[in-house]
Amino acid sequence: MGEVIVITSGKGGVGKTTTAANIGTGLTKLGHKVAIVDADIGLRNLDVVMGLENRIVYDIVDVVDGVCRLKQALIKDKRYDGLYLLPAAQTRDKNAINPEQMQKLTNELKETFDFVLIDCPAGIEQGFKNAIAGADRAIVVTTPEISAVRDADRIIGLLEAAELSDPKLIINRIRVDMVKKGEMMNIEDMIDILAIDLIGIVPDDETIVISTNKGEPVVTVQNSLAGQAYRNITRRITGEEVPYINMEEVDGFITKLKKIFSFK
Amino acid sequence: MIGKDIIEFKGTKNGIYIHIKPDLKFEKIEAVLIEKMEKAKCFFKGAKICDIKCDTLSEEEKRLLKNIMVSQYEMDIENKTPDIIEEDINQRGNDEIFTGITEGKTKFIKGTVRSGQRLYYEGNIVILGDVNPGAQIIALGNIIVMGTLRGIAHAGANGNQEAVVVAIHLDPTQLRIADFIARPPDGDYEKPSVPELAKIKSDTIYIEPYLLKK
Repeated sequence: MGEVIVITSGKGGVGKTTTAANIGTGLTKLGHKVAIVDADIGLRNLDVVMGLENRIVYDIVDVVDGVCRLKQALIKDKRYDGLYLLPAAQTRDKNAINPEQMQKLTNELKETFDFVLIDCPAGIEQGFKNAIAGADRAIVVTTPEISAVRDADRIIGLLEAAELSDPKLIINRIRVDMVKKGEMMNIEDMIDILAIDLIGIVPDDETIVISTNKGEPVVTVQNSLAGQAYRNITRRITGEEVPYINMEEVDGFITKLKKIFSFK
Repeated sequence: MIGKDIIEFKGTKNGIYIHIKPDLKFEKIEAVLIEKMEKAKCFFKGAKICDIKCDTLSEEEKRLLKNIMVSQYEMDIENKTPDIIEEDINQRGNDEIFTGITEGKTKFIKGTVRSGQRLYYEGNIVILGDVNPGAQIIALGNIIVMGTLRGIAHAGANGNQEAVVVAIHLDPTQLRIADFIARPPDGDYEKPSVPELAKIKSDTIYIEPYLLKK
């Protein structure tokens, strides 16, 4: 029996889809069988990020409506065996499915896959409710911006209300140089406000933009810092204890920042 | 018109509902009711009345009918009917100010209160955790936060000017006590390093360290 993990954030554009694609690919590389479900009906782009857009025949709404079988809609990844994508419908909207149908779908996927990742749409409406319906665990993605942290806080509250307690936090797009100068929120402050466990820090890295546009998850790029961060996150998801890559650097700037603040 | 058509008794798990046809004179209804009750005096003794349902009777007339049933036929009025509860709340909202400042009922909340969550309590609130930006805490009494208060807190919400807000780190988006509102200064300001207490002092919200080193 597999595990269903929803990747959510509240705010849009913080990197949910990129995170879903990378964690999915990363888990497959570790030898697990993974399905990624795009729950962003009407605004799908997980298929684009994974470079599988031209293979879509059936989508999630077709499965729910009984137009096709679940296996027919699952798209096999072009690079890795054991990685599958269930794409969202582009011509419909979030109300095309309901939480009960989603739960049924994830339960079915759980039987064949070790991990089922759900790429949650932005917002807290129907799409969010659908995405979390069948989840066993949640990962909250945020960026070092006040608005993203605020929305993450709201989402954590809603996850707790839905009894998805103990979500894990990914801080995406951190820029060490800016944090050093005190121009960006630092990691400690964010963890302090959100009060949940950190599972990964992903630096802002131009290799992500390059690989996203190519449709190749950055997790596969060996010399990328962001890729290394995602590789570590996937190992942490499987329960492994992995030290933070740039811990010395991170440590360095946090203590420096503390000094700056205490002088004020 | 025959009496039994005018008034109907409907028994439920919680008690009896009395349905009365609309557009009848109160005296007529009263007479029919007494006649009906007289016939089955023993049956109605001790029975619970949930509500009288009639579109044209006024609240006052309904009360008179209930009085007759209670005093003459020893029936009970079930107090949990919705209209009575509503009345109670309205009355309290209008005239009574919660005064339980040194003691009184208190709600304890364990954990972080997050954005979008709103807590309301007709007494004191104690939070064993943080209150994040975008969260609202409203209490008729005091608010104590055993953590960082970053959201909105409204103490003494129905007019108690003696109410206080205390937090280990008092850094709210907005602070309200009774009818007074305060907000932190624009731009950068010094974050609190010691536990602080907010109260009303000469018509403004005044913040002072809560642990005085004297």
